[in-house]
Amino acid sequence: MKKIFEEYMVEIIILVLAIILIFFNSTKLSLALKYALTMYFNLFLIILSVAFLSGFISEAIPPNLIAKILGKENGFKGILIGAIFGTFMIGPTYVFYALFKSLIDKGAGKNVIATTIGAWAIKVQWIPFAIAILGWKFVFIFNLLIFLYAIASGYVIGLSTK
Amino acid sequence: MQNLITGFIMLALTICLYIVYLRKNKSKLNKILRKGTNNLTKNSIRIFAIFLIIGILQNFLTKESVGGFLLKFSGIKGIFAGIAVGSIMMGPIATGYPICSYLLQNGATISLISSFLAAWVMIGFISISLEFRYFGWKFTVVRNIFALISIIVISLLMEAII
Repeated sequence: MKKIFEEYMVEIIILVLAIILIFFNSTKLSLALKYALTMYFNLFLIILSVAFLSGFISEAIPPNLIAKILGKENGFKGILIGAIFGTFMIGPTYVFYALFKSLIDKGAGKNVIATTIGAWAIKVQWIPFAIAILGWKFVFIFNLLIFLYAIASGYVIGLSTK
Repeated sequence: MQNLITGFIMLALTICLYIVYLRKNKSKLNKILRKGTNNLTKNSIRIFAIFLIIGILQNFLTKESVGGFLLKFSGIKGIFAGIAVGSIMMGPIATGYPICSYLLQNGATISLISSFLAAWVMIGFISISLEFRYFGWKFTVVRNIFALISIIVISLLMEAII
């Protein structure tokens, strides 16, 4: 029981907040629940794949393989792989945290993961929509700067986790 | 729709990996599947809790209330207001663009819009708890502080260039 509490402390706090909200405004809570359920089912295939992919990585992949491709020693190449992967992947980053964790456990560099998370901020699928509202110049320069930030972020994390 | 396509691709990839690997190592099937199912339950609880809190927040953070608040600020103060509000905002960035167009129409500065959008995609106030539990405090603190500094730099550059 104590273990469950420790493991899911944040989730329990959210649950308590939600219960409190019932008393103040139950319509808002039902809207929020509806949103959460829609999002969950919308992303279910990704959540499912991430769970079984991380299970596979932690049980079946030999550590030296991951370390060779995404290891800290692979330097700029590893960071570039992370940046490109992060740029083109879609869905919320935190859905993939479990996958990143299993990669780190198998020898992937934290610098590579930091770059991946950084580059995730580039939302390729929304770029046409963004251009329509903000103009191509804004969108192009903005995303270029985020890409540079992602790469720099890898180096900063690399230095701090020496 | 895009989430569905990505989900299908990831799922197909995962299934292929399982088939290829398990043809040679049948004995490991149970262990890997158990790990995957475990991951699925654990991740689902965490991710659903985040969706729920986003759903609750979205009820309160409408386009007019967020936009109206941000329009009170400009210059350096605008950048910080953008960061503060942007980091609370979560969910797909597509919902952020209409807020930006509202801001643009009402004469907000480019740096405010940049910092708001950048903080939205780069800093997740709510997902930080998840980042902390998966990657440790050092990674989380360094990465997010660096993101914060980068957002300020990006906003200033955007203001200067555009």
